[in-house]
Amino acid sequence: MHLDPFELHRPTSVDEVVGLARDLAGRFDYLAGGTDLLPNYKMHLNLRPHLIALEGVRELRGRSLERIGAMERLADVEAESALLAAYPPLGDAVREIATPLVRASGTVGGNLLVETRCFFFNQSQFWRQSLGFCLKADGDRCHVVPQKQKCYATFSGDLAPALMAVDAEVEVAGADGRRRLPLEALYDPEGDGIRRLRLRPGELLTAVHLPAATRGDPGAYLKLRVRPSYDFPELGVAASGALDGGRVRRLTIAVGGAEMRPVRHDSLTAALVGERLSDDRIRALADAVERATRPVHNTFLLPDYRRRMVSVFVRRAVERLREGTAG
Amino acid sequence: MPSPPPVRFRLNGQPTEVAVEPARVLLDLLRDDLRLTGTKRGCDLGTCGCCTVLVDGRPSLSCLTLARLVDGREVTTIEGVSPPQGLSPLQRAFVEVGATQCGFCTPGFVVTATAFLRDHPHPSREEIVRAISGNLCRCTGYLKIIEAIERAAAGGA
Repeated sequence: MHLDPFELHRPTSVDEVVGLARDLAGRFDYLAGGTDLLPNYKMHLNLRPHLIALEGVRELRGRSLERIGAMERLADVEAESALLAAYPPLGDAVREIATPLVRASGTVGGNLLVETRCFFFNQSQFWRQSLGFCLKADGDRCHVVPQKQKCYATFSGDLAPALMAVDAEVEVAGADGRRRLPLEALYDPEGDGIRRLRLRPGELLTAVHLPAATRGDPGAYLKLRVRPSYDFPELGVAASGALDGGRVRRLTIAVGGAEMRPVRHDSLTAALVGERLSDDRIRALADAVERATRPVHNTFLLPDYRRRMVSVFVRRAVERLREGTAG
Repeated sequence: MPSPPPVRFRLNGQPTEVAVEPARVLLDLLRDDLRLTGTKRGCDLGTCGCCTVLVDGRPSLSCLTLARLVDGREVTTIEGVSPPQGLSPLQRAFVEVGATQCGFCTPGFVVTATAFLRDHPHPSREEIVRAISGNLCRCTGYLKIIEAIERAAAGGA
């Protein structure tokens, strides 16, 4: 498979990136690890004439208990045992992303911003053309939900739910300067599988910030996929929390791989604050998260199965959290 | 049309300078321009691991690595894994155990396992299985591959 010609830019500072992004005004993609972008380019999915390679930007590196640079390789994060122990959902998630070879190149920022997926989108140009293309690339209709003018492609990153569950924030840089926002605010609840981020034009994700308040809290990330050694999530559920004297002080649940964006279910977990985590309460929470999650038929596994696995995973993840506290 | 600027890097220890277009991946540069055909093109999408090479010692999927981005780096292919005479201990273990069937995936496995054993000289079987989980063998011959890596780690090759 060949790549169509593009111009490659190799900036070395964030300011230079921001300047390039302004000059190229939407006619570019950022290139991080390339493990998702380049396969998509080989399939002729939404090509741009310019690539801005971020590998030479030093400021996007660095790993500590407080901050992970957006260009940190997943394999390097995976090797940080203290960091992963401090944030258990992150540890579970990073070890389960794709394969060791993909993690050797793939980056934290790339996984947070990974392109949404759909089996009508992640296909060769010939395959897509034979069906008249789709809303997300080259076409004007959705084959998953044909009655809607909206893209239902699934958010398929593992790190986002895991990091959302531990209250991570992200830092972005753009023409208007730098800003920090809660990770969940990066994903647009009003958007769809195409317009899915709340980034301003050209804005660059520079780092993830990990809060001290959730450091060491028990938690888990559970992932559903067909081939355990390789696949994108068909569902990913993260739980994180803290108990005081057996009563919930903090509890978060985040679900990815199921809808167009990763979702944190704060309205459902709020009622449990101050309560004991009984089996009945856990089951009720798990059922409520399942009811709030609506996968569509655009990945390998059937949506009804994926939806029903939501409550199974929420229950298992919260039980593990409860056990982690006891231990 | 002017030729693109050259990239300069070390390839299996040798200084190399070659003109390459931005949209060319390292795999195509190695196989088609430099005729190092030991590195195999499998899926071409990062799924199979057949095209694995080392960039600055780190396993990299050469089908998803833009050739221009190895400028200034050290690239090691399957051709550079062997010592000047003969085979590396890992390669000998592959031969002795019979860890090849059709052989197409073998270079990728050897390169991946070479970097893995350098970083984990005494791996458990589970760690080996995890380490090679990005390399596909379509003859499904994983047991002997695992055995060969175990043998090389034990110094039995």
